[in-house]
Amino acid sequence: MLKKLILIPALALSFMAAANVAVIVHPSNAATLSQDDINKLFTGRAKTFTDGKAAEPVNLAEAVAVRADFDQKALGRSSSQMKAYWSKLVFTGKGTPPKELASEQEVLDAVAKNPAAIGYVSAAAVTGSVKVALTLN
Amino acid sequence: MLKRKLLAATIAASLCGASQAAVDINGFASIKGGMALSSDDELYGYDDDLSFKNESLAALQVKSDLGDKLSVTAQLLGRGADDWDVKFEWAFLSYDLTDSLRVNAGRLRTPFYKYSDFRDVGYAYDWSRVPQSVYGLGFDNIEGASLYHTTTLGNFDSALQLIVGSYDGDAAIGDATAEAQIDNVTGVAWELGQDGYSFRVAYLIGKTTFYVDPLDTPVTGLYAQLTGFGLGALAKDLDIIDESSSFAGIGFNIDKNDWLLVSEVTKATVDDSFISDQESYYISIGHRFDSITPYVSFEKEDNQAKTEIYAAVPTASPIFTPVAGLVNSLELERDSINVGVRYDFHPSAALKAQYTNADNKTADRKDRVLVVGVDLVF
Repeated sequence: MLKKLILIPALALSFMAAANVAVIVHPSNAATLSQDDINKLFTGRAKTFTDGKAAEPVNLAEAVAVRADFDQKALGRSSSQMKAYWSKLVFTGKGTPPKELASEQEVLDAVAKNPAAIGYVSAAAVTGSVKVALTLN
Repeated sequence: MLKRKLLAATIAASLCGASQAAVDINGFASIKGGMALSSDDELYGYDDDLSFKNESLAALQVKSDLGDKLSVTAQLLGRGADDWDVKFEWAFLSYDLTDSLRVNAGRLRTPFYKYSDFRDVGYAYDWSRVPQSVYGLGFDNIEGASLYHTTTLGNFDSALQLIVGSYDGDAAIGDATAEAQIDNVTGVAWELGQDGYSFRVAYLIGKTTFYVDPLDTPVTGLYAQLTGFGLGALAKDLDIIDESSSFAGIGFNIDKNDWLLVSEVTKATVDDSFISDQESYYISIGHRFDSITPYVSFEKEDNQAKTEIYAAVPTASPIFTPVAGLVNSLELERDSINVGVRYDFHPSAALKAQYTNADNKTADRKDRVLVVGVDLVF
């Protein structure tokens, strides 16, 4: 019995570690987004939503666990590969990486108050102040 | 990228209340130790003494967004090989005409090769150095303006760059460097990419002038002497004064299922001069095992001396030896093999090691070099 009790939180933890990533936008944002659209926005290859409105992607700092999940699931690359990718653009005047925020709460706040923003948090962290555009499993 | 945002407003408050421009400071560095593997070997600036200076570098980039689509970027770079003298490697302003069209003007990188723009940023690629057989023109920068256009064509991402400008500084001439001036540089580079595949072409032309001390010297120089002998036409075939020059490059890159394949083929010519036509290529294959990426690459340089220049000169003539010697000195056939590994041991740094064996068939010598180092961005 005791073993089982220990097992449940352990399972919950491992489940949370592989949490789904929710890509979030402002509640007023009606654009539909595919994984490819998100990839383009977060790699600087697209600067507008599919409806033509300007997009401002906000990233999470590498220290936040969900960042690595997002890089892998949405962009198909490791965080190191993404850093190499951006260093090619930053040091050649060809692009600027998305702004990085230090916590999921900061991303939620930034997206909630900016109609142009697009960010991501773990699915469990989503609040009513933002709209989930796509969930990445 | 760890970005340090300094709100200029804070600085401005103490200065003169300038606009609220945000300043981004980024940097990169490579610290490498390397040496040739036997006492006779020499390659890429290494001999058989371990050197931490030869290929190490550090750079700091400051970019200020002035708002209204205008920004200014300066990149200060110091190379160990230049005693860490810091120079402006890039210094340009950018103006975004539209979301997909940007004008850069100032000191820029000439887009000869796929890795030209970021060849100094070792962190951005897996090798310890870009393949020297191909990346060997001896100059990188240009003062001018470029138009950079990005768009999607069907499923492809297209990046088109048009550039105009001129270069004034040292450039490679065989294994040596000489003072050069390349005027009216006009070029185009186009890269198409889709889902791990990319394809690139580049073509540039310009007017090249080289000043080579013992050749161009008045009276005693080779050209002056030839002209004195009534061989002015031969002197003109040799000298490098405002000669039409061209560079053509084609390359592809595949990054699929953790396999990495990249290749470039280039040809550079300087007409009506003793500079040989330079044909080069490399092919590199690697595989990413999580944070460890081993690779092998093969490079080839084939520079054929323009022996036709002195074909009409009798071998008994006193000028035959100096002229043939000069022309033939730019003959080079060299194959190089590289084996190396990149290890991403840290979120912002990669440890790399690379062994190179260069087989110079023209000089009948083999040179081997081993380099180990860390590339990082900050």
